[in-house]
Amino acid sequence: MIHTFDCLGHSFLLDVESGSVFIVDSLTKALVENLNSPVDYSRGEFSRYTTEEIEEAKSELDELIKEGVLDSAEPEHKKAEYNGVIKAMCLNISHMCNLRCEYCFADGGSYSGKMMNMSYEVAKKAIDFLIEKSGHRRNLEVDFFGGEPLLNLDVVKQTVAYARSIEKEKNKNFRFTITTNAVLLDDETIDFFNEEMYNVVLSIDGRKEVHNCVRKTATGEGSYDLAMQNALKFKQKRVGQYYIRGTYTALNKDFSKDVLYLNDCGFDQISIEPVVLPDTHRLALKKSDIPELIAEYETLVKEYFERRKTDKWFNFFHFMIDVYHGPCETKRLVGCGAGNEYVAVAPNGDIFPCHQFDGDGNYKLGNVLEGTFDTTLPEHFAKNNLLCKEDCRKCWAKYYCSGGCAANAIHYCGDINKPYKMTCELMRKRIECAIAVNSLENLK
Amino acid sequence: MKHIKVVAKSTICRDKHTGCGECQSSCQSACKTSCTVGNQSCEQQKINRNEKVDER
Ligand code: SF4
Ligand code: SF4
Repeated sequence: MIHTFDCLGHSFLLDVESGSVFIVDSLTKALVENLNSPVDYSRGEFSRYTTEEIEEAKSELDELIKEGVLDSAEPEHKKAEYNGVIKAMCLNISHMCNLRCEYCFADGGSYSGKMMNMSYEVAKKAIDFLIEKSGHRRNLEVDFFGGEPLLNLDVVKQTVAYARSIEKEKNKNFRFTITTNAVLLDDETIDFFNEEMYNVVLSIDGRKEVHNCVRKTATGEGSYDLAMQNALKFKQKRVGQYYIRGTYTALNKDFSKDVLYLNDCGFDQISIEPVVLPDTHRLALKKSDIPELIAEYETLVKEYFERRKTDKWFNFFHFMIDVYHGPCETKRLVGCGAGNEYVAVAPNGDIFPCHQFDGDGNYKLGNVLEGTFDTTLPEHFAKNNLLCKEDCRKCWAKYYCSGGCAANAIHYCGDINKPYKMTCELMRKRIECAIAVNSLENLK
Repeated sequence: MKHIKVVAKSTICRDKHTGCGECQSSCQSACKTSCTVGNQSCEQQKINRNEKVDER
């Protein structure tokens, strides 16, 4: 399978199975698009070219096909197996939140259940559980999540200290990350993050009016001023990775303005992502919005590409693809690893396939306090990788997307193997933009 | 080549040593620290690049 597309004034070929990427002229692109059909070269777009030009382009394509880097066949894949190893954990350290964001899947942090903080006892048991299940994997990831994790900062600190105290003896390397709305972020916490957090994610949606419209405090006031003030202070002091991440909704389909606004504020690591909500929600993005959203990504990628040549250089998370050194095939088939190599632990110790299943009794895998863990669902998640998803196998973006979000597939399509199509088109557009930027920036 | 510029060739590694799982997990949901697998780098290649050891 070959995917052709235009972006940033160039035409690209992606050879799906090998991952090869080429920049081509319009003649070559047209030849590829007609590769397996009979063509009259004296007609249509081909009539603009001489026979020599056409033959020359065809022979260049043939050379690549012979080399196996274009139009390459799908190879045999390793069979998906469940090996019981867990390497990443989302610790839902607090089900409480100081904000009431309108689109929050966690329902103001409560996950439709009891508002509670995780105790140190549960967190410690969760770390022990992760170590026990991690097999030979050395790098273990723990993401402090919520609700708002800073509402339970003491337990975050205790948990980090505990994991650090045993990691050498257990031959593990913990990578901690935390996602916060920044409202409670003070100097002391920033210092702690700099020492211990491999990555910090601060949630800000962009322009003040956009952010305040949906991210309100419990008393109904906008949270922008506090969050932004703290995020700017954080940025100045940050040593290590961070992201400003936001969500765009039906109210700001012109989200490129929010991305660029955040960059203008001085941030250089930015991620703004589409909200996923039922169609009936006032903030939901609908199928009919897709052309507008795709045009918005086109606007963004042009400005992004230009800014990256200046002192306003920044990373937009969805336009980042490592065309040269991306992950191996196994990783591309497995994707997020939810329910398999990645699990979430709720404040009461219940284990779920990922944070999006927290509180859903049908997806409870066990409990760290009780020492229970049923592998029936993990096996199901592990075996249903990209290769089991019929629509995805035919999709050119499969090795970059890995078959999408299992939680969305289950919640919106009722089947782990049915991709949630609403996000597919946006995903494909972003991947095109990402390949174009990465290719053009690295072309010698 | 006149009509084609090569950006990258055969980048999806299917080497028998791959699949070690040491790379970062890759949640694509809007609220997490990473998204598609596409934007991740192979941990082994990172080590190899840093240590300038290319043979595996
Ligand atoms: S989830 Fe959608 S975009 Fe991703 S591989 Fe499947 S069909 Fe393609
Ligand atoms: S199922 Fe979706 S939300 Fe859960 S870890 Fe995977 S990509 Fe993230």
